[in-house]
Amino acid sequence: MTDSNQQNSNSIVLKTHDLTKIYLMGEVEVPALKSVSLEFIEHELTVLLGTSGSGKSTLLNIIGGLDTATSGDFFYRNENLTNADENTLTEYRRKTVGFVFQFYNLIPSLTALENVELVTDIALNPLMPKDALALVGLSERQHHFPSQLSGGEQQRVAIARAIAKQPELLLCDEPTGALDFNTGKVVLEVIERINKELGATTVLITHNASISQMADRVVKLRSGEVIEKTHNTTKISPSELTW
Amino acid sequence: MPLSVLHKKLLREALHLKGQLIAVALVVACGVMVFVSMSSVKESLVRSKDQYYSNYRFADVFLQVKRAPAYYRERVKAIPGVASLSTRLVYDVSLDIEGLDEPATGQFVSLPPNDGPILNDLFIRDGRRLSPTAHDEIIVSEAFAEANALEVGDEIHAILNGRKEAFRIVGIGLSPEYIYEVQSGAFFADNKRFGVFWVSQKALEAAFNMSGSFNNLVLTLTHDAVEAEVIRRLDDLFKPYGSLGAYGRSEHVSHQFISDEIKQFASMITVVPSIFLGVAIFLLNIILRRLVSTQRDIIAILKAFGYSNWQVGLHYLGFSLFPIALGGVLGTLLGAWGGAGLTDYYTIYFHFPSLDYVFRFNDAIMSVSLSALAAGFGSLSAVKQAIKLPPAEAMRPESPATFKAFWLEKLGLKHWVTVPWRIIVRNLERRWWKSTLSAIMIGFAVSIMISGRYMYDAMDHMMWVEFDLKHHEDLTLVFTEPLPKSVLYELQNLNGIRQVELVRTEPVRLRYKQRSRRMGITGLNPNSDLRPLIDSKLRLVPVPNSGLLLTTKLAEIIGAKPGDTLTVSFLHGQQRTHQVILSATIDEMFGLAAYMQKSLLDDLSGSKGAANSAILTIDYAQKDSLYAAFKDMPSVTGSIFLKAMKERFSDDITQSMIVTTTILTFFACTIAFAVVYNGARISLSERGRELASLRVLGLRKQEISVILLGEQAILTAFGIPIGFLLGTGLSAMMPAAYDSEIFRMPFILSSENFFFAFIVIVMVAIASGWIINQRLAHLDLIEVLKTRE
Repeated sequence: MTDSNQQNSNSIVLKTHDLTKIYLMGEVEVPALKSVSLEFIEHELTVLLGTSGSGKSTLLNIIGGLDTATSGDFFYRNENLTNADENTLTEYRRKTVGFVFQFYNLIPSLTALENVELVTDIALNPLMPKDALALVGLSERQHHFPSQLSGGEQQRVAIARAIAKQPELLLCDEPTGALDFNTGKVVLEVIERINKELGATTVLITHNASISQMADRVVKLRSGEVIEKTHNTTKISPSELTW
Repeated sequence: MPLSVLHKKLLREALHLKGQLIAVALVVACGVMVFVSMSSVKESLVRSKDQYYSNYRFADVFLQVKRAPAYYRERVKAIPGVASLSTRLVYDVSLDIEGLDEPATGQFVSLPPNDGPILNDLFIRDGRRLSPTAHDEIIVSEAFAEANALEVGDEIHAILNGRKEAFRIVGIGLSPEYIYEVQSGAFFADNKRFGVFWVSQKALEAAFNMSGSFNNLVLTLTHDAVEAEVIRRLDDLFKPYGSLGAYGRSEHVSHQFISDEIKQFASMITVVPSIFLGVAIFLLNIILRRLVSTQRDIIAILKAFGYSNWQVGLHYLGFSLFPIALGGVLGTLLGAWGGAGLTDYYTIYFHFPSLDYVFRFNDAIMSVSLSALAAGFGSLSAVKQAIKLPPAEAMRPESPATFKAFWLEKLGLKHWVTVPWRIIVRNLERRWWKSTLSAIMIGFAVSIMISGRYMYDAMDHMMWVEFDLKHHEDLTLVFTEPLPKSVLYELQNLNGIRQVELVRTEPVRLRYKQRSRRMGITGLNPNSDLRPLIDSKLRLVPVPNSGLLLTTKLAEIIGAKPGDTLTVSFLHGQQRTHQVILSATIDEMFGLAAYMQKSLLDDLSGSKGAANSAILTIDYAQKDSLYAAFKDMPSVTGSIFLKAMKERFSDDITQSMIVTTTILTFFACTIAFAVVYNGARISLSERGRELASLRVLGLRKQEISVILLGEQAILTAFGIPIGFLLGTGLSAMMPAAYDSEIFRMPFILSSENFFFAFIVIVMVAIASGWIINQRLAHLDLIEVLKTRE
C-alpha cells in the first residue's frame, strides 16, 4: 500500500524538506541527495532501503547530526537544525539520538557494561546500564570485553549502548551488515523489541530488501532521490524474515 | 635517475608524518649538538693549551725559595733529568691602581736582560718587550689590564720592599704560567685586584736586595726524567735556602684549573648525547611500529606484487633516514655555533694568546653515524615486523586488541575510576612496556634539567657555606714576612676596623709512607669568630687539642687516615721534623688545607707568635681611609677581598646559569615535546575511530580530549617523579666527576630545581597536548560509520 497521507495521531519527530547534499570531490560536484522530503513519525520503525550510492547513508548522517545539508531544511520536532553549529549538533546527538553502527564501534578497552555506562554517565534520563543489557539479552556477558564477544553479541551491546539513554531517535546503520543470517536476525529482533518497548522512533538503513518487511514505513532511495515510500500495514516479525 | 615508486611513496608518506619525524629530528639534533659542541670545545682547549705550553716553553717543575745564590743554576742543571731552566725573582707586591679604591696585589716576575729563550715566556699582545736598559718599564697581564682599563703608556705604582715606585706600562702580555690568573690563597680569579707583572731583573734585584740571587726556579724535564726524583733532589739542594718545596704541573694552580675544566667535558660528551639517542631510538620505534601496523594492507599488496621482504624492510627503514639527516645537519650546525660561542666564553676565564675554535668534521661524522646506528636499532623491530608479515595475513585487519581489568580494579577500586579514565588506564596497562618507556623518556627530560642545574645548587651551597658560614672576614691582608703579634694592636688602632684575627701559616712537607705533599699548616685559635671550621655537612669541627686536622681530600691524596702518624717537615726557620698524629679530617669543599692549634704550631715549628696574614672585618663607611692606609703599609704585600670576589663570582655564575638553564630547558622541552606529541599522535592514529565513535554517541570535544590526552597526562605525571629520581641519581654521580683538588661539589639539590623542572615539563606537556587537541576538531565522524579498522 502506498503512502496515503494517513499519518496517525502520532506526531512528526523528524522532517526533511527538499534536503539536498552535494559533495565536492576535487572540482567535481557529486550530488548525494536531491530534494528529499520525508517525515518520520514518533514510535515508528522506518527502513531506508537502497543500494550503495543511493544516498541513504548521507540522509542518515544528516538526520543524525553528523553532517549538514547543502540546501533544504531538516527539523527535529519544530527545531530547524539545518544550519546548526557543531555544539548544537553535539547536544542533539547527546540528548536525542542513539546510534548503532555497522561495525559496532565498541570501545575495546571497556567491558560490555562499561560501554553502556559510557553513555548513561552523560545522559539525562538513562536506563540502568544493567537493564539496558538485559533488554538485549546480555546480562550474562556484562563483564566481558568486546574481544571476548561474538559479532552478534557485540552488536547487541552496541544496541544496548544506543538505547540506554532512552533516546527519542534510534539510528541504525546497516546493523546486520557485518553479521551472518542467524545472528543478523537476532539483532533485528532486538531492534524491533526496543522499538516496541521503549517506543524510540527508529530509522534503519539497509540494502537488504527483506528487512523492510519488519518496518512501519519503507523509503526507497536511488541515486539520491526518494523513488518510493511505503506504509506497511502488516509487519513481519524479524524471526520470519528470510534472505 | 628517476625516483622509484617506492621512493616516491617514502617521500610522500614521510612528508605526511612530518610533525612526528621533525620531533625526532630535533631530539637527534640536540644529541649531535651536545656531542659536536662539547668535543670541539674540549679539543679547542686542549690544542690551545698544548700549543701554548710548547711554543712558550711552559715549565714542568716549579720551586719558590727565600734566596738562593745564582751559581746554584749550574747545580740544578747537573741534576739528571733537567732539560732547561730559568731562575727568576718573583714577589707579590701591593699596588695602587688609579680608579681602584682598594689596594690590588701584583705578582712581579723578573725578566732577564738578554733576549735569550726563557721558560714560561711571554706573548706580547700589545706594545713591546722591556728595553734592556730601562728599569721603570713594566709589562702587565692582559686580564688585569682589561679589568682595570690599563693601556700601554699608563703608569702604575707599587710598593716594593716598603718603597713606593712608579712603573710605565710598555706592553700587555700573557704567559702559559697564568692561563688562569689566580692569587695564592684565593678561591677564584679576581682580575681587578690581582694581576701579574713582568719587570726587569735589575729593578727587582735592586728593590729587594737580591743581586746575584734568585728566589724562583722553573725547569723542564727530559723525556726520560722521573719527576719525583728531580723534586726530591731540588728539595735537598735548596733546603738551606728557604725552599717552599718543589712541585710539578699537577700542583700548579693554573694548570690544575684548566686541566680540571677539560676533564669535566668527558661526562658531558658521553652522558647527555646518550640520553638523546635513547629517546630517539624509542620514538622511532613507536612511530615505525605504528606505521607498519597501519600499512598492513599496503605491505600485503607490495609483497603480492613481488617486492621482496628486504625491499619492503628497507623501505620502512628509510623513514628513519629523514630525522637522522635533518637532525644530523641541524645538530652539527648548532654544535659548531654553540661550540664557538662556548669557546669564546672560556676566554673570560682562561687567557691564551689565541683560543681558536677547532671544529672537527670527524666529530660530526661520528655523532651522526652513532645516531644513524641508533635509528637503525630503533627501527629494527618495526622493520622486522614488516619483513615477517605474510601477504595473506597482512590483508586481514589486525586482530582486535584484547584488554583486561587493570590491577586497581582487582583491588576493588574500580568505582573510584570513571569510565573514560578506565579507558585511559587500560590502554596504558595493555602496553605497559611502552607506557613505562614513555614515562622514562619524560623522566629523561626532567633529569636533564635537574642534573644540569645541580651544578648551580652545589655552587650556591658552596658559596653559602664558604662565604657566609666559614669566612666572616671582609678581607685578608697578606704580610711580606711573618710579623710579631703586636701587628694585631696596630691594626686594631686603625679607624674603621671592627675585628681582627691573626693567621699563622707554616710551610711544611707532609709525608705518609711513600706519598708527600707541600702544604701550609694553618695555626688556629680554638675559638675563632671570623673563621670557624665547618664541614660540608654544616657541622662545626673543633681544632683537635693535639695533632693535625686535614681536609679529607688532602688525607686521601697522601693516603692517610685518622690515627696515622705523619712526618711533618717544617720548611722555614729551624726546619724541624716531627711525627704528628692525624687526629681528624674535615670535609671541606674548596682547596686543600691542614690545621692545628696555634700553640701547637708554635711549639713544633719553634718560632713563636708570628703571623703571615690578618683577617679583618671593616666598617664600610670608612673604607676609603682604610684602603688608603693599607696601600701605604710597607709590610702588606697583598690583600684578598673575599666579598668582592664572591660578588664577582656570583655574577659570573648567575650569567652562566641563565645560559645553561636556557639550553637545558630547550633540551628538556625538545624531549618532552617529542615524547608527548608523538605519544598523542600515535594514540590518535590508533584510536581515532574509537574517539570519533564517541563523538557520534554524543560525547563533547572536551570529553574525548580527556580520553586522548589523559593518557599523556598520566605518563607525564609518572614521568616527573621518575625524572626526579633519575635527575637525583645523575646528580649524585656528579660529585665524583667534579672531585678535584680545587673544589669538591657537595650533593645538594634545591627544591627550586625540582620545581622549575616540574613547571617546564608540565607546560611542555600542556602545549603538546594543545597542538594535538587541534587535530581532534578534524575527526571524521562519518568515516567511522563506514569503515572497520
